[in-house]
Amino acid sequence: MLHDTPSFDGDVKKLDEGSLTQSENAVLSVRHLEIGFHAKKVIRDINLDMPRGHVVALIGPTGSGKTTFLRSVNRLNDKISGFWTKGSISLQGEELLSKDTDLLELRRKVGMLFQRPNPFPMSIKENVLAGVKAHRLAPKSQHDEIVRENLEKVGLWKAVQDRLNDSPFRLSGGQQQLLCLARSLAVQPEVLLLDEPTSALDPISVEAVENLLRKLVPEITFIVVTHSLAQARRISDHTMFFYDGKLMESGETENIFTDPQMPETQYYISGRMG
Amino acid sequence: MSIVETSADDAKNDATGRFHPNLLGRRTPIAIISAIATTVPAIAVIAVLLVLLSKALPAIKYNGVHFLTSTAWNPGNFYANPVVTNGVEHPILAKYGVWPLLAGTLESSIIALIFALPLSVGAAFIVAKKLPPRLRSIASTFLELLAGIPSVIFGLWGALTLGPILSKHIYPFFAHHAPNIIFFRLFRGNTGNGEGLLTSALVLGIMVIPIIASTTRDLITAVPRLTEEGAAALGFTEWEITRKVTFPWISAGVIGATVLGFARALGETMAVAMVSGAVLGTVPHTIYSTYSTIAAAIVTQLDSALTDATGLAVETLAEAALILMAVTLLANVAARYLVKRVSSTSLPIGKGL
Repeated sequence: MLHDTPSFDGDVKKLDEGSLTQSENAVLSVRHLEIGFHAKKVIRDINLDMPRGHVVALIGPTGSGKTTFLRSVNRLNDKISGFWTKGSISLQGEELLSKDTDLLELRRKVGMLFQRPNPFPMSIKENVLAGVKAHRLAPKSQHDEIVRENLEKVGLWKAVQDRLNDSPFRLSGGQQQLLCLARSLAVQPEVLLLDEPTSALDPISVEAVENLLRKLVPEITFIVVTHSLAQARRISDHTMFFYDGKLMESGETENIFTDPQMPETQYYISGRMG
Repeated sequence: MSIVETSADDAKNDATGRFHPNLLGRRTPIAIISAIATTVPAIAVIAVLLVLLSKALPAIKYNGVHFLTSTAWNPGNFYANPVVTNGVEHPILAKYGVWPLLAGTLESSIIALIFALPLSVGAAFIVAKKLPPRLRSIASTFLELLAGIPSVIFGLWGALTLGPILSKHIYPFFAHHAPNIIFFRLFRGNTGNGEGLLTSALVLGIMVIPIIASTTRDLITAVPRLTEEGAAALGFTEWEITRKVTFPWISAGVIGATVLGFARALGETMAVAMVSGAVLGTVPHTIYSTYSTIAAAIVTQLDSALTDATGLAVETLAEAALILMAVTLLANVAARYLVKRVSSTSLPIGKGL
């Protein structure tokens, strides 16, 4: 799994002006990205390429800018007052930070799973179909099939097939999160952003979600913000270490954890910081 | 927690070992206060009903079931010798019917809600979602100030300003252009001097807006941010987020708030008494008709009713009050049922409205 992307240069820190051409295998390319709120700069000059069809973990201490970066990829920060960006994020060569970016289509391509399950106040079935309907992706005749297919994908079909019209709030927290995942998958995203997706779940549900991610690559690229180093190590192919708004180090997960190059990375992964 | 524990300590167990909480056996002040606090409202409701019922009893006997359907409002001749019918002493020729008042009460309150509900919900969404924080708090303050204005001031404004303006400049337009077909026929006819059903319903609507709007605003701000962000992150437009996530989430609460407003409109007295035209004994036949409501009739008729030496006039007002109370209670029960249906399973979920 780790070696089918030999062309990806994990150490993006070494990207300089001369080599800033679009890496062919990158689904997401970030160049000279700066993000801030009012006068405060949260992300400082980040350059990176996200390899397609992998799980990428974003780790780093609280306040290092991981989540801000993640929420910038689908432009979810736009509504926050004082938010600004400089530089570029592109999805398969298409600029995302431009004023003309079609936000609805961007969010179809780039889905998101949140810290806590957030089902909508509609039936289980309608939850799965919410995005499909909003984007008019399929005719009505295919809806039942889409519901089944996506619930099966996340392993929830057996548990809920008899109560598709019931409230999702009666499901357990883990089941709700799987439902939200099914909802995201139903619109066939290319990238899925996960913001500490298992932080509110019990260990068994955590395992279920983690196994799912491994099962769903390489069709989908996952970018996971996590505070659990063990989880980053278990599920990710690549790890990016954020520190103080900078991307300190990036590379194959095993290398980051066994042979970190920067002292801050060493410090963080050994559990002495964060 | 401490209440439960203390009461458990003090509770007496009988031979079967069953738990017998004894109100008087609880010794902590909090237990006593909470016992009083929970029983006082229940006692108050029952006491009010009983007192009204005992006051109204002779009128119920004399007026009979026709009271609900009759349109007459004739206190009879106070100066002639009283007569006795069904064991009730009454002025000769006295005949009462509450139907015009009941119809007026319901019609004015329903029209008031038709105005107030969309305006309130719209205002709540704008205040909660669209305004920048500083403007939001200013708008909220004014919304709450609106709720604090004494109803007599609304009544004065309705009678002196709103009514005349509407009847001079707005109503004639409707009266001339409304087609002479069912429903629209109600908009035709004499527009009067501005006192009447529509004007008083508009005044009522304005009085009800702060009740519905401020509750709805609080409900909107209580919708989890993560749920709305989840909808945005799935590619919903702002309108879709409002329609499919925010509104279903709050719909049960909005129904509750609407009934609160409805109950307020049903019982509103002063403003209606001043703007309704205070006509007893006719059911409003156009939207501009002068009329009266139960509450307004009670306050406008009490003085003359007290001059009825047989007491029947006052007893009839008590009977009307009893009916008003029954209608208000019924509205509350209906609301509970609706809220339950919309939020099946007591969770913020339903198929929407």
